[in-house]
Amino acid sequence: MLLSLIAVAAITAVLWLANRERPFDWQIAAGYPLPSVPADNPMTPAKVELGRWLFYDVRLSVNQTMSCSSCHLQQLAFTDGKARAIGATGEPHPRGSMTLVNSAYASRLTWANTLLDRLEDQALTPLLGDNPVEMGMGGRESDVGELLANEPRYRHLARSAFPGDENPYSVLNAVRAISAFTRTIVSFDSPYDRYLEGDTNAISASAQRGMELFFSERFECFHCHGGFNFTDSTTHASTAVESVGFHNNGLYNLDGSGAYPADNTGLYDMTGRVRDMGRFKAPTLRNIALTAPYMHDGSIATLPDVLDHYARGGRLLESGPHQGDGRLSPYKSEFVVGFEMSDGEKADLLAFLAALTDESVTTNERWSNPFAQ
Amino acid sequence: MFACSAQRETVDITFVPVWQDRELDCLEGDKSLSDLRFFVSNVQLIDADGGVHPVVLTTDERWQQGSIALVDLETGDGSCRNGTPATNAQVRGSVVSIDPVALRFTVGVPFDMNHANPLLAEAPLNDAAMHWHWRSGYKFLRAGVTTKNDGTWLHLGSTACDGTVQNIRSCSSPNRVEIALSDFRSMSGRVAVDLATLFQGTDLQDGVRSDCSSGPAESECGPMFAALGLPFNGADSDISHVFRLLP
Repeated sequence: MLLSLIAVAAITAVLWLANRERPFDWQIAAGYPLPSVPADNPMTPAKVELGRWLFYDVRLSVNQTMSCSSCHLQQLAFTDGKARAIGATGEPHPRGSMTLVNSAYASRLTWANTLLDRLEDQALTPLLGDNPVEMGMGGRESDVGELLANEPRYRHLARSAFPGDENPYSVLNAVRAISAFTRTIVSFDSPYDRYLEGDTNAISASAQRGMELFFSERFECFHCHGGFNFTDSTTHASTAVESVGFHNNGLYNLDGSGAYPADNTGLYDMTGRVRDMGRFKAPTLRNIALTAPYMHDGSIATLPDVLDHYARGGRLLESGPHQGDGRLSPYKSEFVVGFEMSDGEKADLLAFLAALTDESVTTNERWSNPFAQ
Repeated sequence: MFACSAQRETVDITFVPVWQDRELDCLEGDKSLSDLRFFVSNVQLIDADGGVHPVVLTTDERWQQGSIALVDLETGDGSCRNGTPATNAQVRGSVVSIDPVALRFTVGVPFDMNHANPLLAEAPLNDAAMHWHWRSGYKFLRAGVTTKNDGTWLHLGSTACDGTVQNIRSCSSPNRVEIALSDFRSMSGRVAVDLATLFQGTDLQDGVRSDCSSGPAESECGPMFAALGLPFNGADSDISHVFRLLP
């Protein structure tokens, strides 16, 4: 009797030690900020492991054809190379898949939404939404719960990841785990980062010149693509004031009064205020060389074309349904004013943007497909 | 326990999808239903003196909870293939014994319940198809019709919200529809949902989809909002003619 009491006490102590909160090992180099994490979804290795499997599991789509990774491919810095995403049932999405790299630092998620500030909330749209259908699991939430409960791997991981839950096998916990995994996809190991850390040879002389141009008042790039994550919609664990920015960069001007194509009006669709016409989030430029095509609708194919767009101060579409001169849009950002750019300067800027590519993003095994191993 | 309370009577209201005078269903034909689901809340009966008597809904496991009921008139097959097989045409509850002269209810979810996490909600607020994850809040009404080669739909909910998903402060277009039907004179009645009225300003012959997802500036929404008596993009609100009593 006494022995068994001692045994129970010992087991309890061991469990307590195992489950008490320890700081999560982000594997982020010293000097970079840590992501902020919602209080109701703390990071744990078990949760991240569960989320990694789920991220790559096609059983999270209505017809078992699509996982999160179908639109967020590691080799493309977690984008899909398409102008606009295609859902599991073939429905086109009006916008392109955004990179997940450093989404842990995004103060707002997706291209044009003031409301979405947590991955846990954003993930519900691709998983459950029906306009358009992406993964198409709306109304099939119990299937996700059953998958967690019935497959031994998930059953084990879900119990470890959510030890306090009486029934950890829920779509809510699946979303929490996927969000926790996504939050670990953090990149600060580009040549540019190594240059900042003191390795003066990490980037070429051309890239260094491009860096000067990027941060110059003449080119204005950094106003929207500023800060450690190269976007003004950034937050982190010790942010005092969160930064949120949406900008009209002069892509469209359908009617001479600044209109955007009806299926893609940006923040205007959320607010109905004309001053929000065509305002979209400035995405991070980290790994930007890997994430073509560009803009919310993938309407610019290459980075040299993107630079030409900004040099002109807006896009001229001379014919077709979207005809108009974006440069003349009344809603255009004050930072998109155009600039003279020599061929040499263009090459330098491209070299700088290429220096923002962190090769480990595409190779890090922590983020790779576990089913393939 | 309820010895002191006045005698109560059961109330049931049955909703019927119609196109003008004929009932609409999901059987494909010239014109059929593609979707019709909506939340009903704040059901009240009015007596001859103008007294307002709340109907207390009967809580069940699927369709009714607290002051909110989900009506689902699509069958998940035929032209409603994107829907669900389960249906619920009736709102059920009880009210003090009176002689009613009118019925009032809201199509929508009250603000204080509209922006909570749907994955933590109980039925019927746990229905993902009725939630708007990226706008925050519920789709108060999903309605659609298809014709041979055209069709339209409306997803109605609050828009232009301030704050963030977990902390919505207000929505400048709440888009809850207040319905008042006079001549409701018994404890049981049938209410038509007339999609011909809802979509009267939408061309169903031109082969061009004119769908509305309640964007504050979506031009396709204007006539649908007008039919529901909702203000839209500067246009004033009027009373809704989409819902009417059936004999």
